[in-house]
Amino acid sequence: MNCSESQSILRELARDQMMDARGRQSALAHAVSCGNCARALGDARALTGGLRHIASVDAQEQAPARVEASLVAAFRDRHSASLPVPVIAPAASRRWLYIAAGVAAAAVAAVLISLIATKTRSAETTAPTEARTHMEAPAGVQAPKPAPSPEKHVVSANPKRGVRPIKPVIQSTPPAPKNAPSGEVEIATDFFPLVNRESLNQLDSGQLVRVELPRSALMSFGLPMNMERAGERIKADVVVGEDGLARAIRFVR
Amino acid sequence: MTLSKTPSDPELLRLMIAGDEDAFTALYRRRQGGVYRFALQMSGSQTVAEDVTQEVFMVLIREAERYDSSRASLAAYLYGIARNYVLRRFEQDRLLVPIGDSADDGDSFTHPAMIAEDDPLGDLTRNETIDTVRNSILALPPHYREVVVLCDLHEMSYVEAATVVGCAVGTVRSRLHRARALLVEKLRAGRDRNQNPEQVNPARCFA
Repeated sequence: MNCSESQSILRELARDQMMDARGRQSALAHAVSCGNCARALGDARALTGGLRHIASVDAQEQAPARVEASLVAAFRDRHSASLPVPVIAPAASRRWLYIAAGVAAAAVAAVLISLIATKTRSAETTAPTEARTHMEAPAGVQAPKPAPSPEKHVVSANPKRGVRPIKPVIQSTPPAPKNAPSGEVEIATDFFPLVNRESLNQLDSGQLVRVELPRSALMSFGLPMNMERAGERIKADVVVGEDGLARAIRFVR
Repeated sequence: MTLSKTPSDPELLRLMIAGDEDAFTALYRRRQGGVYRFALQMSGSQTVAEDVTQEVFMVLIREAERYDSSRASLAAYLYGIARNYVLRRFEQDRLLVPIGDSADDGDSFTHPAMIAEDDPLGDLTRNETIDTVRNSILALPPHYREVVVLCDLHEMSYVEAATVVGCAVGTVRSRLHRARALLVEKLRAGRDRNQNPEQVNPARCFA
């Protein structure tokens, strides 16, 4: 056996690992005759002995008990926080879920509109406070059907953020809603789309939700508003699709 | 908890995921020693070892579902997490500049067994050799240190060590060979220094 062959099995030799008996004898015999290999074998044995002793001494090392305590507490917290959620029966209660989601979405839309309106402080456009407008509802939306208008004037609307009213016209004789008390007449604008026109056209059916907004919201849709009455509230109808998204809005007076 | 006498790691893990606290405790007690010792031998610091152990099992609590038994044993998976945390800790510590004349000054968190007593007059006793080996391991570059710790101190096979480190088996083998050569050099240097304590560097005499 030469030095190279001896070096290749040095680790196994030092660790007294299972190996070919004849190879082992040859390596040991070579170490006797070769000073370098004998020294290398001695070093490897010393290192192996040191490593083994370290392993045996460190075998007693354990993480402190406080680590286990904190981990068990964390485990409890995690599993108490992830209790099973009750499953909602799908068929019957899903419709109510959609309706509730629609109302919630409408409320969110109303809040968003009011936020937009309050941030928008553009110049006040003077307009007749008695302006009465009416527009047609999107197809498929169950809304009070408008009466024919005897006098129609084109409104000089100033739409912002790409929101454009549908058929902006003024109507002086709006229809009376079903729930309105006798003698009181509600005047409504046409519906302003809150989504793009393509999404609005895809609306097959939806619900009309009555909300209240700051009067300043009128400005967001390019409608005239008296700044002195900006703090007052104004009623609006929001068209909510089956998916719960608000599609259009109209203002009611 | 309904367990057989010695439930396997995957069995304990499955129960643990289902919320069985006893299974988690059993799994922790079975595996914490190896993780803690690995972090201790890699860092030489009890504080680091404690932190790493805590982090490893927190990961297991949070993301036990991510363990894939077809890729590695649970022990190797835990060692792998521990290794990542240790290396991250090294990286963080590298950015910190120690205050004082020496990096060793005031390191009250170092495990007493990790400190070698420098006694040049004493013989190369067994304990000194062990201390020298321990310090030499800590002085190795991390990628050499980890294979020594895994293969020589934790008796892992090359395949298991390769799984933990995330490299080829041949890489583990070559790193281990190189690491042992470095350790032998350090041992020789220490032995020569002890045998010739009066030896001085002439360059320093003329300085």
